[in-house]
Amino acid sequence: MSRALRLEKSRWREWVAALQKASTVIAPVRLHGDDVAFERITSPDQITLDFDNPQDSPKRFLFPQVEPMLRYHRNGGYDVEPLYDEEKRVLFAIRCCDVSAVRFFDLALGVPDLPDSYYATRRAHTAFIALGCNAPCRECFCVCANTGPFLPSGGGFDVQLTDLGDYFLVEVDTSKGEELIGAAPDLFTSASKDDLAERAALDKAAEQRFPRDPRLYFSASSRKVSVDSVEEDLWRRMAEWCVACGGCTNICPTCYCFNVTDAQANGVGVRSRRWDSCQYPGLTREASGHNPRPEQLHRLKRRMFHKISYQYGARDGMQGCVGCGRCVRVCPGIRLGIPEVGEAIRRAEWK
Amino acid sequence: MEVMERRPNIYLPQIARITGVRDETPDTKTFVFRFRDDETHAAFTWRPGQFVELSVFGLGEAPFGFASSPTRKGSFEITIRAVGALTRALHAMGPGDEVGIRGPLGNSFPYDEVQRRNILFIAGGIGLPPLRSLIQNMFDERDKFGDITILYGARTPTDLVYKSELKEWEQRSDIKFMVTVDRSEPGWQGNVGMVPTLFPKAGVKPDGTVAYMCGPPVMIRFVIQDLVSMGFADEDIISTLERHMKCGVGKCNHCCIGHKYVCRDGPVFSYKQMKGLLE
Repeated sequence: MSRALRLEKSRWREWVAALQKASTVIAPVRLHGDDVAFERITSPDQITLDFDNPQDSPKRFLFPQVEPMLRYHRNGGYDVEPLYDEEKRVLFAIRCCDVSAVRFFDLALGVPDLPDSYYATRRAHTAFIALGCNAPCRECFCVCANTGPFLPSGGGFDVQLTDLGDYFLVEVDTSKGEELIGAAPDLFTSASKDDLAERAALDKAAEQRFPRDPRLYFSASSRKVSVDSVEEDLWRRMAEWCVACGGCTNICPTCYCFNVTDAQANGVGVRSRRWDSCQYPGLTREASGHNPRPEQLHRLKRRMFHKISYQYGARDGMQGCVGCGRCVRVCPGIRLGIPEVGEAIRRAEWK
Repeated sequence: MEVMERRPNIYLPQIARITGVRDETPDTKTFVFRFRDDETHAAFTWRPGQFVELSVFGLGEAPFGFASSPTRKGSFEITIRAVGALTRALHAMGPGDEVGIRGPLGNSFPYDEVQRRNILFIAGGIGLPPLRSLIQNMFDERDKFGDITILYGARTPTDLVYKSELKEWEQRSDIKFMVTVDRSEPGWQGNVGMVPTLFPKAGVKPDGTVAYMCGPPVMIRFVIQDLVSMGFADEDIISTLERHMKCGVGKCNHCCIGHKYVCRDGPVFSYKQMKGLLE
């Protein structure tokens, strides 16, 4: 399936404009205060390609924070009607870690015997144009999650762009990707062997530029979390830094816990799901008041177990942390990002 | 990735009507349901141990185990104690009222694989309804099983569910059935004491016996200890685990124990499986 093309850098906006004819394009936009976020764009001029990974992952475009699932009417009895979002979308310039998170969602929510209809519908109507990373972002550690800085064929992207100076190397990996190229085929020319070699060299160079050696983060800590050999006291001391805000899970591109609620007025109601968090006591509290995870330490332990245990790796087919580093940035206790907690577990030390 | 199939929608409830309500105890009722759509109703079946997500529209969904056997078609029954907003609203509903039903969900009690073996049921309080589904099923295929013993305990005689059906069970000569209560009440002439006090009276023995139990967590814990010390194999001790199941299909993460989902990998687990759960 895979083939490689070139796109002159001066012309990528023309491509985006062509994509807009058939799809909503969602891309990184610089907002007030200099934050970059994924937004629906109306013009390619809004897009910035000069960005660290946005604070918010594009998760919400596939799995919204509040998502209507069905509507019901009371009309004597009840009639129930599912609500599907079939908007055709292109996610433009998303990072390899976030593409990998979509692959994780496919495995977790899309499992073939029980697919999540709402996610599957959105997913089927969304295409991904990845932008590989020539240099690591400040907090990320994709090399240890094996999700970047660039993705191999089959990594989940439809098209992957690599910045090679005056032009992009454009790898097309799926039939959806071919459709995206087909929106403006004249903009693309064939890539050369040298382009691919340059890409490989960039990949190596980027790996060398991570601030610390991040490969340390997972191997030992995954093993300890998987066999439950982390001292309870270590969990407790780490959890003292947690204010249970749920920021790490909201911001995480692979977190998908949700709650379901009904809202109704005048015989018409909507059932919605909304993001929930393993960091909230309410996730596991039962009607009787009993809570199997009564303390924050149990909830911190839970988060790490779902992210890096072998058991979940085997169940989901992929590790639950893609190394984007957002939890490092968002934690108001500063210290409970996955790498910090992983490192503390590895060293059995928390100062 | 291949485009995933959208349908069937695993979150979409079917409309069912309440066709009957029976009072069991002051806070517990048994509801009889029938799907509004005849075709849906005819196609619907389940296995004992499975559950449904029941919608009270406007309040949401909650999980409940089947209380009746799939061998008794025509309707299905669920026994519900009023403890929260949804169950209280349900208790205010009656024949003709409509609810949403999603299911059957979850795994089920071992059935085919225990044929010809001796069966022991241990139920505490509101734990009897899910076992009743299996008990009725075994009664309807009685010749497939060895000895059947049913031990049932409740806090008080008032708290016993299925009172008239229990009388029928007492009359049966092809099973052993005993009841006990934690606290007696005027007029009660039966056993008093926790469920395990029935074990010697009933002659509970491990030989070839599979034990199914359902009840409050504290009862389960003690009963498991007793059975293990009597020599029951870990894989022959079967129970259901209770967690806050929200979606019922292994997606929402409310009911996880370790990497297992009570709603999807359970709710039925053997003691052997329970011991392997990390949490």
